[in-house]
This record gives sequence, C-alpha cells and structure tokens, in this order.
Amino acid sequence: MTETTDPIRVRSAPAGSKGSMPFRATPPSALGEPMIWLTGGALVLCLVMIVGLVAMIITQGISTFWPRPIDRVTLNDGTVFLGVPTEFQEDPPQTLYRTGNRDIGTEPFRWVSQSDIQSIDRPEYAVMLERSAWSVWLGIPERAILVNDQGEPTIVAEGPKAVLAFIDEHHAKARARWHEIESLKKHDLGRVNKRIEASRLRVREAELATRREQKPGGNFGLGAFVLVLGLGIASAGAAWYVGRLFMRGDEQQQLEGPSRGMRSLRMALVLVSLGLLLAAWLHAPWKDRNITEAGLAEIRQAAAEREAKYQDQYAIILARIAELEAQDERYRLEVIDPRTGRFAPARQTEPDNPMRLSQIVRLVDTNAMGSSEKVGVYLSRWWEFLAHPPREANTEGGVFPVIVGTVMLTLLLTFTVTPLGVIAALYLREYAPQGIVTSTVRIAVNNLAGVPSIVYGVFGLGFFCYTVGSYIDVGSDPSVRLPAPWWWVLLATTFLAFVAGYAASVWAKPVPGSEPTTMNRVLAWTARLLWVGVFIGVVVLIVRTPYFNGFFEARAADGSPTFGSRGMLWAALTLALLTLPVVIVSTEEAIAAVPNSMREGSYGCGASKWQTIRRIVLPGAMPGILTGAILAMARGAGEVAPLMLVGAVKLNEDLPISTNAPFLHFDRSFMHLGFHIYDLGFQSPDSQAARPLVWTTTLLLLTIVVSLNLIAIIIRARLRARLSGSTV
Amino acid sequence: MPAMVDIDKRGENDAKPVYKVIEAIRRGEAVDPTLHPDMESLEGVIDVDMFNLYYGDTRALFDINMAIPRGKVTALIGPSGCGKSTLLRSINRMNDLIAGVRVQGRMTLNGSPIYAPHVDVIGLRKRLGMVFQKPNPFPMSIYENVVYPLRIDGENRKSVLDEACERALRSAAIWDEAKDRLKQSALGLSGGQQQRLCIARAVVADPEVLLLDEPCSALDPIATLRIEELIREIAKRYTVLIVTHNMQQAMRVSDYTAFMYLGRLVEYGPTSGIFRRPILTETEEYVTGRFG
Repeated sequence: MTETTDPIRVRSAPAGSKGSMPFRATPPSALGEPMIWLTGGALVLCLVMIVGLVAMIITQGISTFWPRPIDRVTLNDGTVFLGVPTEFQEDPPQTLYRTGNRDIGTEPFRWVSQSDIQSIDRPEYAVMLERSAWSVWLGIPERAILVNDQGEPTIVAEGPKAVLAFIDEHHAKARARWHEIESLKKHDLGRVNKRIEASRLRVREAELATRREQKPGGNFGLGAFVLVLGLGIASAGAAWYVGRLFMRGDEQQQLEGPSRGMRSLRMALVLVSLGLLLAAWLHAPWKDRNITEAGLAEIRQAAAEREAKYQDQYAIILARIAELEAQDERYRLEVIDPRTGRFAPARQTEPDNPMRLSQIVRLVDTNAMGSSEKVGVYLSRWWEFLAHPPREANTEGGVFPVIVGTVMLTLLLTFTVTPLGVIAALYLREYAPQGIVTSTVRIAVNNLAGVPSIVYGVFGLGFFCYTVGSYIDVGSDPSVRLPAPWWWVLLATTFLAFVAGYAASVWAKPVPGSEPTTMNRVLAWTARLLWVGVFIGVVVLIVRTPYFNGFFEARAADGSPTFGSRGMLWAALTLALLTLPVVIVSTEEAIAAVPNSMREGSYGCGASKWQTIRRIVLPGAMPGILTGAILAMARGAGEVAPLMLVGAVKLNEDLPISTNAPFLHFDRSFMHLGFHIYDLGFQSPDSQAARPLVWTTTLLLLTIVVSLNLIAIIIRARLRARLSGSTV
Repeated sequence: MPAMVDIDKRGENDAKPVYKVIEAIRRGEAVDPTLHPDMESLEGVIDVDMFNLYYGDTRALFDINMAIPRGKVTALIGPSGCGKSTLLRSINRMNDLIAGVRVQGRMTLNGSPIYAPHVDVIGLRKRLGMVFQKPNPFPMSIYENVVYPLRIDGENRKSVLDEACERALRSAAIWDEAKDRLKQSALGLSGGQQQRLCIARAVVADPEVLLLDEPCSALDPIATLRIEELIREIAKRYTVLIVTHNMQQAMRVSDYTAFMYLGRLVEYGPTSGIFRRPILTETEEYVTGRFG
C-alpha cells in the first residue's frame, strides 16, 4: 500500500524480506545544495570587491614615484612642448601630458588629441626639475651662470651636457647651503623667538597677578571649613554613641574590636590631614606675592633688557642668513621651455631672473637614465615621501609629520579608550546588579556606536576644546566663581557626604544569608543619593572654584590658547569616546567568557572580588580586550570627520613629539593621513598633480593601520597561547 | 501478557521494602536524623545547628543538625539534588555568590560563627580549602597556581613561596611530576594531575578544614584511585569533608558518612556502620544501589 501511494518518501522492501531497511530518498531542497553555491558566491563577491580595492590601491600607490619618460611633442600647428604622458584615452584617442611650468602661466596638465600630433621624440637632455616651489619644470638646460662678487653674471657652461656636468658638481653644495639657511630660519630664529615670547609672557603674568585679589575671601573660608567639618565629626560621633546604646553586647564587642577601632581612627586621621593639606596649599603663605606697581615696573625693565639681548642674537643669525643667501644667489641656471622659449624664473614675479641652483630638489632626466638610475630616483622619491615634510600645499614633498600625527593619535586614542572601556565593562559585568537598568545602559552604549562621527566632532569641539581646554588654560569662568566662604562650606559638606555615603553603603549590606531589611533598603538609597550629591559637589567645586586661574593664563590672554583650542589631546579623547562602545562590548563578552569555575576557584582560595577580577578575570579576558582595542584602533585611525573639527590641520610641521620639554605636545594641532587624503584630493590648488599622491597616501594609511593591528594581533596570539597552556 | 504476570508474582513474593522516613519526608513532615550511637558525643570542628537554606522561595536544606568531627574524613552521600553540595558550599559561604540565597540557623567553624553580621567572609574562606568537581587550575604556571592563596594574602617573599609551594605539592603527591615544570602552564597537566594541583592549592595556606566537592567525578578510574590515596594521606593532617556520588569511594576514604535525601540529613554514623549495619532500610537500599 505505501509503495503505491508515496513512492518518494517510502520505498520499503517487500514485506517479509529480511535484512533490507526501508529506503528514504532525501529531496534536493532538504540537501540545500543551492545554498552552498549562494553562500559561497556571496563570499566570493565580497572578496572580489575587497581584493580589487586593495589591489588597486597597491598598484596605483606603488607606481606613483616611478620616473616616466619625457616626450617632446610637435603639434600640427607647429607648437613644440615637453610633457610626461600620464594618461591615455581610447575614444577619441588622446593623451594627458604633464607639462608643468606653472609659474610662467601654462597649464600644468594638457589633453592632446592624437590627430593633432605631428611627431613625438624623446630628447636625451630633456629634464624634469622638481623644485622647492611651483611644482615641476620641464625644459632643456642651456646655460649655467655664475654671478661674481660685483654682481656681474658670467656664463660658465653652455649646452645641456656642460650644464648637467655643472649641476652635478655644484648641486649638493648648493642644497647643503639651502638646508643650512632653512635650519637657521626654523630652529635658531625659532629658539630666539621662543625666548622673546617667554619673556613677554612673564611680564603678562605679572600684570595679571597684580590685577587679581590675592586671597579671595581671606581666612574666613578656612574657618568655615573647619567649623563645618568639626560639626560633622561631632554629630557622627554622637550618632555612633547613640547607636551603641541600642546594640546588643556581642555586636558591641565586634564593633569595638581593637583592630577595627584603630583602623577607623587612622582612616579618619588621614582624611582630616588631607583636608588640612589642601587648605594649607590653597592658602599658602608662600604663594602670597603681592606685586606692587614698582615691582611690576622692575619686572618690565628686566624683560626689556632681556629682549634687547635676544634682539642682538636675532641680528647675528639674520646676518649669517644674508651671507649664505648671497652665496646662494650666485649659482643660476637657464632651463628653457621649448614652447615659449623662456627659462625657469627664480620667482614668479621676476621672470627675467633665472632660477637658482638650490631651487632644484631633484633633477630627473629620465630619457638618459638606465633602469638602475630609475630605481634610484624611485627609492629617493619614496624616502622623501616618508621622511620629509610636505611642500607646495602638500602636493609635493613628503608626509613625515602626517605619519607621526596619525600614529601618535592612534596610540594615544588606544591607550585612552582601552582602560576606560575596560573599567566601564568590568563594572557593568562584574559589579552592577544585572537588571533592567544595566540592560538599558548596555543597549544605550551599543547604540552610541551608531551615532554619526561628526556629532562626536561637534561635541569634542564644544566640550573638550572650548570647555575643558579653556578651564585648563584660564581656570574657572569668573562669572560663576563661588565666594570663597561658600566654596569652603561646600567642600566640607561634600567631604561629609562622602564619609556618610561610604558609611551608609557599608551599613546597607544585609546580614549575610538573609533578605535585606527595610532599613537596609533605606540605607542603600541614602547611600546612592549621597554618592550623586558627592559627584555634583565635586563637579561644582571644580567648575566654580575661586582659586584656580589656569595653567596658561598669560598665553590665553595673548590670544593664543594652549589647550583651549583644537589639538591632539582633544582629538584623541573625542575618538576615544567614539570607539568606547566597541571596547566595552568586546570586553564585556570577554569577561563573560571567563569560566565561572575560575572565579569560584579564586573565591574558594579566599580571594576578594577585586583580587579575583585582577588576577583571574582580567588576564583571562585579555585576548578579548585586545580584540576590542584592535577594533577601536582600526575605527579610530580611519576616522576623518570629527578630526576636522577637533584638531587635524592642513599643515603643521611642529610634531606632537619633540626633543624640547615636555617632549610630548598634545596641545598642538596635528596632521592626519585621513584628512591629508581629503586635502590632497579635493583641497589642493593643483589637484591633478596631487592625484597619484592620494593613492600613495591611502596605501600608507592602510599599511600603518595594518601594521598597528598586526602588532596587537601578535600580542593577542601570544596571550592566547599562554592562557591555553600550549607554550611556556 | 506473560511478562505482566511475572512482575505481579514478584510483587507478591518479595516483601517490598518499607521506606518509613522517606515517605514521611515526601509527605513534608519534619524528620529527625537517625544518628548512630556515640555520634552525639563527637567533638565537631564544624557544628551545624538547625541550618536551613532557601534559593529564593525554594527550600534546599531542612533543619540540618550535624557535627563534622575533627581530624577525620566525613563523606556526604545521597542522590542528586539532595543538597549535599549546597551544604558543603554553605560552609565556606560560596552560596553568597548566588543571588537570592537566604539562610536560617547557625553554623560554626571552631566555635566562631560562619553566618554573623560581622564575619569577614574573605577571611573565613581563607580558613577553609576547597576543591571543586571539575579541576579548575588557573591559566598560569603551576607554581603560581599553588601559591595563589598566599599571593592574595600579600605574601611575596620568594623563599616563603618556594617553600610553601614544595610542601603543598608534596602533600598533594604531585611534586615528583611537577618539580621540573613549575614554570609551565598548569593547563598542560592531565586531568588527574590538575585535580591534585587543586588540592595542593587548597592546602597551601594550611586550612582548618578541606572541603571536597565530588573531586573525582570528572576523572578516570586510575586518577580517581590516586586522589583517594591522597585523601587518606591528607586526612592525617586535616579535617576533610567530601561530597561524593560514588558509594565505594565513600566507603574507601571516609571515617564517617552522612546520608542525605531531599535536603534532609537522614542517617549519620561511622562509615563502617552506615555501610555494614545501617539502621534505616532506606540507607541500606541506597548504599547497596537498590534505591535512589
């Protein structure tokens, strides 16, 4: 019967035949064969797109610096020009030539239709000059000129071959001289400038100090503090005494155990002395230097003397520079553009003045080069790219400050966000009671990851730069400052609330093994309220203190804020905020994945919760935490939008790290590869010329992010191996 | 049809055992534990006095009264879910870690209360060593595993730690296997070695009582045998309380045995008495494998 009705599902053997099982054919839909193809296909599609992108970045980025031949193109209308072919188009056939020579008013790039071209040849002596300004110059070197001391020019070499020999001989020396001039301008003059600035700031500080009241509120504040603190301690003592009357004998004994009493006493003494130290510091008699008008005049006098001395130093350096520049002016070259017949000028405004030898950064005569020389040029261009600062509005030169900025920012961000996120996740997973509040917080944190990054940028600018930064610079806003007595009263109240909150949270713990009583609940809520109060109190104490005038008041008064403007620290903190959810989520997962048997084992050994977390949970979760750090790093390094608001700039050659104290300058604005790519591609005056650099910079950014991640991944792999016991 | 007849016949011929105490427990009546003679006069290192434990609304332990004798091995036996592990874990207050656990009654360790408002639970756990069902060495070196209880006590002097480590590993009979690989990860040890390492960790701080929660249930027979030998050895110096599912194990290692059922202590006496001359039918049926 079954055989006839349902041939697919059951093909049973004839009844009574031994040893053959009923056979069920599986329908193709159940096998899911097509799903393998579908899923596999989707993966392949993704891989093709990603690999394609990376391959394109790599090929384009790598080929940027390869020297290309220089064509001499003769058009049908008789124009002759030199150009480096950079792009070809099939329909209609035309070629994009890089022709350079922007400073005499020609287009630096030119599309030429194939039909317009009469002939193309590659003259051996065509050179491409990479210049310190105005981008490249293409031309034929015709004359080398040496100006003597009287200012009379003499032609010392004529014809391309002789001129090239002249360049070979004198170029290195000319460049060395030029570097010396630059270094004198930048470092030596900079140093003197800094001293003058410092001297001026000292006067400014003194001026600000004379205007300010030295001891806001006098000694009344300290009195109020002592009074409130005394009252608080007295009432606590009274409460303790009264409470003791209602206690049973054995409980009393436990309260009055020798160690417990001594410990409390010591604790109280430490707290009181801390308060007194703070009071002494804020009312420090040695800080009380009332600067009189006479004193101020004296300070001004000293500063003027100092500055005169610095001006002398300045003049000496300037004289040295003038001397070197006069030398530099003597070596000149005429490199002629065949189209106009004009030579490369020393400046755009002086077209009759031939360029100086020292203006050549690199001379590339590709047509005469063998392949080993080409490799040399290629490598030297890479070296310049990686190790030198940019020039020509970032379209030429290197990206060294950009690399440093990016790496520093990424490291600073990682080292900020990881501890913060780990601590938050620890509380969420290990300490917080798992309930609706914790779940809400968790969801909110996860959602933070979806906020557009520009929002973080706006927040960072408003909060970090303008609020926190200006507080560091100039202290609390004078309009919200508390009168000193009230500030001290608030300090004492906050202090008492802290002690009371601590006591309440200790007493709020129910008797072990029993339900919390009403009293416990009330105490727990009191403790919570007191903690909130303490938090608010501390914030108000800091924000409205009459005692803090900032660390960089004088500089801010001069209109150059230190932390009160965009800078690396704030950018790192903004990105830390942005990447915080990533770290919290992965840390939470890692903590949850630490087996409970480990925790129990630790508790069983008599470890406290914190010891268990520190010695068992955190080491066990470390690989997961590192995963979070890696993700945060990758996300942060690639972020551009918020950085444009909080610190990344087009050009700042002052690195955030230097050999001058304090060595790390996190207050400085910085350059960033992500922003640099945007700037090169869309903001530069010669974006056509900058386009290949966009690829190279992208390649560099990828390389940096991948290497930073690789380091973290290697550390993680080692940790994992140690945790799983496969290595020592 | 013929099979049914067989069962009926057996029911008629063999007298079905009468479980008086168990029936009373199932009816929810309060039952006093059956104590063997001279159990009353024992000096207990741990005294449990009318101890009750609740998981939320569920009562897991009912009026437990017993004394764990000093310097002896006491085994807790009983079917799954009878509360023996719960009782063991309430001695070092591991149950505190579970939300919603409440207790009533008293429990003392060497005379000092375990559940009292001002007991320092961390200090209490330091006085007790515990070994768990599954070996749970920490993911660190063997050496660090053993000295962990000392490290968290703030002991960092190398000479003290070295000495304690060797002593503990010798007591746990794993010194010979571990001495050349002290700096290697403990996770590289076999299951039985790991469990002996855990025992070393439990005894390194000289606990007053050693609590073993089914220490052999995750081990193979050879490793089990070694652990049992070790327990006999360790019992010369420490009081041991062991929870076990394995009747033969209880018989081999323990001096006293407590039989628990549904959260009650049913019968408690010297191991030889419990296994050879049990007072209650239930106990006899359980230890011979016919009940539970």
